[in-house]
Amino acid sequence: MISRRVQYEVAGRVTGPILMALQNYQQQRRRRRRSPKDNPFGPPIQCARKMKDLMSIYYYQGRWADGAVPVAWITSGFPVELLRAFGFYSVYPENHGALCAARHMMPELAAVAEDAGYSRDLCAYARTDLGSVLSGNTPLGRIPKPDLVAACSNICQTVLYWFRSIADHLGVPFFVLDTPFVYGDFKQHHLDYVSDQLLELSDVASRISGRIVTEEELLEVNLRAMEGSRLWGECLDISRTCPSPWSSFDHFYHMAPIVTLRGTEACNAYYRELKDELDDRVAKGIGGIKDERHRLLWDNIAIWPKMRDLSRLFATHGFCFVTATYTNAWRESLPFWDPKDWLRSSAKMLSNTILNRDLKNRLRVMTGLIEDFECDGVVLHSDRSCKPYSVGQYDLKGALTRELGVKVAVIEADHADPREYADEQVETRLLAFMESFE
Amino acid sequence: MSGPRGCTFGIDVGSTTLKAVAVDAEGAIVASHVEATTPFIEDQSERALAALRTRCPLGGEGPLGATGYGRKRIPSATRVVTEITCHARGAYHLIRRSGVLIDFGGQDTKVIRIGDHGEVVDFTMNDKCAAGTGRFLEVILGRLHVPLEEAATMAEDAASAVSVSSTCTVFAESEVISLVAHGKPVPDIVLGLHRSLASRVSALAGRMKDGREVFMSGGVALNRAMADALAAEIAAPITVLPEPQLVGALGAALGVRT
Amino acid sequence: MRELPGKGDDVRREYISQQQRQHGRKVLAVLPIHYPKELLTAMNLLAVELWGPPGKPRGPDAGRIQTYVCAVVRNALAFLASGGADVVDGVLFPHTCDSIQGLATQAPDFGGWGKQVFRFLHPKGDDRPSSRTFIRRELEVLAVELERLTHAPLEPEALGRAIDLHREIHALRARLVDRRRCLPVDDLALYTALRRGEFLWPSDHLGELREAAAVLDDTTAQQGTPVMITGLVPEPMTIFSALDEAGAFVVADDYAAVGRRIVRDYPKSAADPLDTLVDLQFAGPPCSTRTIAQQRRIDVLEQTFDRSGAAGLIIHMIKFCEPELFDVPLIRRRFEAKGVPVLYLESELERELAGQTVTRVEAFVEMLRPVQIQIGSVT
Repeated sequence: MISRRVQYEVAGRVTGPILMALQNYQQQRRRRRRSPKDNPFGPPIQCARKMKDLMSIYYYQGRWADGAVPVAWITSGFPVELLRAFGFYSVYPENHGALCAARHMMPELAAVAEDAGYSRDLCAYARTDLGSVLSGNTPLGRIPKPDLVAACSNICQTVLYWFRSIADHLGVPFFVLDTPFVYGDFKQHHLDYVSDQLLELSDVASRISGRIVTEEELLEVNLRAMEGSRLWGECLDISRTCPSPWSSFDHFYHMAPIVTLRGTEACNAYYRELKDELDDRVAKGIGGIKDERHRLLWDNIAIWPKMRDLSRLFATHGFCFVTATYTNAWRESLPFWDPKDWLRSSAKMLSNTILNRDLKNRLRVMTGLIEDFECDGVVLHSDRSCKPYSVGQYDLKGALTRELGVKVAVIEADHADPREYADEQVETRLLAFMESFE
Repeated sequence: MSGPRGCTFGIDVGSTTLKAVAVDAEGAIVASHVEATTPFIEDQSERALAALRTRCPLGGEGPLGATGYGRKRIPSATRVVTEITCHARGAYHLIRRSGVLIDFGGQDTKVIRIGDHGEVVDFTMNDKCAAGTGRFLEVILGRLHVPLEEAATMAEDAASAVSVSSTCTVFAESEVISLVAHGKPVPDIVLGLHRSLASRVSALAGRMKDGREVFMSGGVALNRAMADALAAEIAAPITVLPEPQLVGALGAALGVRT
Repeated sequence: MRELPGKGDDVRREYISQQQRQHGRKVLAVLPIHYPKELLTAMNLLAVELWGPPGKPRGPDAGRIQTYVCAVVRNALAFLASGGADVVDGVLFPHTCDSIQGLATQAPDFGGWGKQVFRFLHPKGDDRPSSRTFIRRELEVLAVELERLTHAPLEPEALGRAIDLHREIHALRARLVDRRRCLPVDDLALYTALRRGEFLWPSDHLGELREAAAVLDDTTAQQGTPVMITGLVPEPMTIFSALDEAGAFVVADDYAAVGRRIVRDYPKSAADPLDTLVDLQFAGPPCSTRTIAQQRRIDVLEQTFDRSGAAGLIIHMIKFCEPELFDVPLIRRRFEAKGVPVLYLESELERELAGQTVTRVEAFVEMLRPVQIQIGSVT
């Protein structure tokens, strides 16, 4: 146990950073510049490499986490702050699914799950991740075994079924944090229910970790997490300037720390540095794309396997995504934070996510983003894998067109499964959409 | 229940072709008949059976087993059994051992696990869409103006397979057209199509195929390239049954023997 | 024979207006699956369940929801938006899955349903103190909200009586299902009787169940191959005709719409009837939509199967039903490990079973039947 802990700490503080430095040195020697002519993007964000290092070290350290510290596999909307206070290392099966999809490993991993009987109609993140759990195959080398699998229903109910399957397969305790869906206004007994569960979760975390955590310690982690959300929000808000110094495709990439490392100083330090760089780009008039002529809002999860193609397609035609309901989700609850009452304010924050509230709220959030970021168009990604994000999108399209006069396109795709993506159809639809601005 | 000289008959009315056989007392096929299915199954099957009975060297008498999606529309059938049971029975008669049979038909693909005594242990079929059936190849090869019979030869000429990611027939059609437009050689696309179909069928078979001998029947099994692609996909050899198209009808004929 | 629910739109419509006229009852259309029916009965509210309805979507509004969402939800939006439920006074949306959750904001907020709307959020996860406190409050709040329709508060005595009535209904439903072998009617007739409970006033349903149970006969034994069936809802109902024609019958049921809503250990009446309702939330067979530990659900399935003496298991899914689909691999694995043949079927609320599906059902029954097949033996 002690030696495992030493291994874990050394991996995070010594070996990991050294390996990263070595890799960067080698890559720098190999790196070549793309000819500027066919490059529609602005100069790359320098911090990106730092983020890659940050994440790589985190994953690398994770290989030694089980046995050294308690490990939890959790959903992106789960209150990691609380677990962090108990010393948990957290693993995000959703991020893992996205990572596998971005690295084009999805079909191979999903095939394992499909062979085991998981329907192709199920969420592609779930199939990818279950395929990885069943086969042990992962681009991360090794994922630490969990002591706890925990899912929060504030992003979807799918994660409840999916994580329950993981817990069952691995024979690990499963914790459900049930955040009742908010129709209209919050209901007090719903928030009380979430608070009660947070206390139950503390008991579970304490039992597994063998630690007692004081209110002060809990508050400290929460304060750090809120600072992270605030910084993330500030970085996103810089995209209000025209041209936007970075695009939503960059946001998708840079959201990894706020999702996985929320509540750590490393996360906050990263976004401070990123913010400085973005401010600098604004001062110099550098845009995320070279020729920003139109500004767009993205709705729904990114199409991970097609990020490169899509970002190029839009950039080439002078279209820049400046904001997204997806990336906004990690800052939208911040106004509910109250350091004097972490329990009740946490309950409200957890319940307030865009996917845990009704379509009227969604329309309100989108309208706010369109106005604040001065968007003249919207792309709704109708995501075969994500029912809660997609049901109602056709009605949202109608409402946005009618009420705001913006142009809206819907594309049928999937956040991770390239087999559900028809290049030709999507490209034709998007080109027609972009032509309509002329 | 067999005819005076031990003869029985089987008819398999599939969605694409109608197959009929006459079988002797040893279970050997002594006469057969294959034609494209028309919408008028009752008339067509009676006509086809009359022709077969006339041609049968053992005489035209004997009971008739009917199978295939048109099985309930054969007026003279002695016994009606599904194509799953018939394929298993026909295949077991030919191979005499357990294994997994992939019956690759025009609009249906079935994976049947055959037990030690020829019984059906488990089976699956493709879902309602044409992805994963012979129809997928037929439609897209048609778009490429490649006759079905030439597909295998053409796939052999391929330098490397072009990846066709869409398994949906409609999406794959447009994907293939764009591949041609991007100058990809047709043989490479043809090979890619076979691979894509093979992966779909392999997924259908799921774990049923693991560690078991795999056999192939159905009209598509006549296409060598398909058998090769499937063997590559599941990383195991595949035995194509003799006269693969007739296995269902053979099973139907065997099922009415006493 | 009495009409099938869902299919006979007119039958339901007529029954509903008769209930409104003769008994002054308000009527709620209720989306699947779990809701506090006792509470509605106590408040003199007739629940009419909306499982789609099956068939082609009625009117164009199904197009407002993507085709990768299940037919229950798409059909329901089309049905509501086209005035199919105009005769009822309100809609109750239980918090069943992501898609119904979406429908519960889409229809009232973006067009499709203009009358009263109620939501019932049942807790997810295992029985624990927080979920008990929550469900109690949720029931209380729902009762208060329902006063908008009834203009009268929930009376504890009425709730006590409703609980007693439903306890008897559950017991009779359990009896019919569990003693299937002694019931000399076909599956279609049995399921029709059971599913009429989806729209009948409970005491009317009870009367019909008593009639159905009157023919139970210990001396007769149902002929044919017994199978167990699990899934969301038995649609299309012609699945029972297909089984019947193939020589099989359903001996054990775990349809979410039917068997999974039969509470065999119906809780005893507590001093406060609301406490009984809380107990009831955790008393039924495990359901995927309640996020119960998978092993527990599958243990119960296995016990039911073993008790029933079924020869095989049919998993009859509605396409795109996420909560159900995640359990399928484990169910398959458990049953296949026992050497139980499993048939997987998928439908989309069609009116008739697809020809290919009929073939699968027949082939499955051929596979289960121990009829000696002569293979290769020379005669």
